Amino acid sequence: MSGHDNLAGLTDRWYLDDSTWSKVRNALLFVALIGWIGCGAGLALDPDRFYKSYLVGFAYATFTCLGGLFFLQVMYLTGSAWSVTVRRIVEHLVAAIPACAVLFIPVVLGIHHLYEWSHVEEVSKDPILSQKSGFLNVEGFIIRGVVFFAIWSFIAWKITSQSLAQDKDQSIAHMDTASRWSAPGLVFTFLTVSLAAFDWLMSLAPHWYSTIFGLYIFAGGGWTFISTMMIICQLFRKNGILAKSITVEHYHDLGKWMFATTAFWSYIAFSQYMLIWYANLPEETIWYKIRWEGGWEVLSYLLIVGHFFFPFLVLLARGSKRNLGLMFGMAFWVLFIQYIDLYFVIMPNFYKSPAPHWLDLFGWLAPVGTVGVVFWSRFRGKALVPVGDLRLEQALGHQNI
Amino acid sequence: MGLMSFFAPRVPKGVYGLMAEYDGPDTLLEACKAVRDAGYKKTDSFSPFPIHGMEEALGLPESKVGKIAILFSFTGASIALLMQWWTGAEGYPLIVGGKPLFAFEPSIPITFELTVLLSAFSSVALMLALNGLPRFNHPVFGAKNFDRVGDDRFMLLIEKSDPKFDETATRQLLEATHPKSTQVVESN
Repeated sequence: MSGHDNLAGLTDRWYLDDSTWSKVRNALLFVALIGWIGCGAGLALDPDRFYKSYLVGFAYATFTCLGGLFFLQVMYLTGSAWSVTVRRIVEHLVAAIPACAVLFIPVVLGIHHLYEWSHVEEVSKDPILSQKSGFLNVEGFIIRGVVFFAIWSFIAWKITSQSLAQDKDQSIAHMDTASRWSAPGLVFTFLTVSLAAFDWLMSLAPHWYSTIFGLYIFAGGGWTFISTMMIICQLFRKNGILAKSITVEHYHDLGKWMFATTAFWSYIAFSQYMLIWYANLPEETIWYKIRWEGGWEVLSYLLIVGHFFFPFLVLLARGSKRNLGLMFGMAFWVLFIQYIDLYFVIMPNFYKSPAPHWLDLFGWLAPVGTVGVVFWSRFRGKALVPVGDLRLEQALGHQNI
Repeated sequence: MGLMSFFAPRVPKGVYGLMAEYDGPDTLLEACKAVRDAGYKKTDSFSPFPIHGMEEALGLPESKVGKIAILFSFTGASIALLMQWWTGAEGYPLIVGGKPLFAFEPSIPITFELTVLLSAFSSVALMLALNGLPRFNHPVFGAKNFDRVGDDRFMLLIEKSDPKFDETATRQLLEATHPKSTQVVESN
């Protein structure tokens, strides 16, 4: 085949040094530990605020991993070859989903701090919440949470274990099995992620409803996921890991995904906003009204510019997607704005105006650090790329037309 | 002549260029690099399937379509917003459903549509125009074995209009890339 001169990647080492691995693991453990110590202090000093700040971090970490689950299944279903080079990194991130189930425990413990519908006596006085209590009740919330995590963990395990088994025997059967699981898996992923977003985030305002809300949150998760990939790959590159395997062509494709998820989030976010604006029903517009006063309008403007116009216009050009430095910075911008987005979704339900708190930092560090530790621990003893995948050579020589 | 003169061949009669024929994508790609490194610009390659790395091997610049099309897309967005603002708030102000005469919220879908419409149409039109299409014929179709390019032949053309073109020197350069054969393409 053509393009053999691009297979210089074959000289990359496929395994991490033990010393590199333990250095990074220690750093991540330290970050997670700091996060949990801060959370513990917060739980003692101000439990109410802790649960609220923690929910932002929990949603941030979980929906990022779920974005990876979506990406992984789409790559198998489309039979895409370019992504084989970076797929092992995605698999490890997706393998952190069971850890997110553990991270869900504090949310359950804080249910009475977070969710108005969990107060039985208030619900009985409210005709709308009484009607909704068949779905919005504590037992249902916990059972649904467990079911969601079971489904996601099962799909993640099914697909990642096939890829790891393929490392050993190079059999195409593993690829077929993973593709077959991806089709129903994607359907279940979308349904459950949508319901999870309803449960965990939309029900913070239990009178309010928007059927597109799940997609809104999932689109943001996909956005942070692909930016996380961009950052991890470039950090690898800066340290000489897979530096010849993940070429500018792969970064270009990751950049296309960043652009696509930017446009998708904007489309969904605007669809939700425009329908509510046009219908002009008080029980729907209230959600945006409280986000348009008391200082929250700053975040609203920041999202319009920072979540859509700025990344859209920057990522539109081919040249910027092939500019590694620019994409590195852009990925950090995405991670920052997505935090703002979740903050904007969650916090105005509790506070009349933005009141940043030191627990916001620790409530984010603890879940993200934990996912980071689980993600990184998967690298030990495993090849950095799916060495058994039959499309690996094609992926290494990948070029954009 | 009417329409036919629009489609009339725009190449002068006589030698159009030199064509070399190869038996595989690898040899073609190597030949393209050699020709690019020799400084030729007016070149083209023909193959049964797209070959990765060919743009680079031929030294083709990035397409101009995107850069021009984005101007059309901004034009589309401006036209849409102006049209909705003028008809709704200036030309024929009419309150419907208690909504403002003009607001960005309901205007975005139409703005989006017109942006996409103008950029898509202009991209296709620009692609055709920059490629010199439509046309009924091209001198390379007269080259020997050219019909096999759709099957199992790989060809490289250097046009006579290239400033570096010299029939003997160019032929020597092509012969050095180990083609199956070389031929002169005539325009008639």
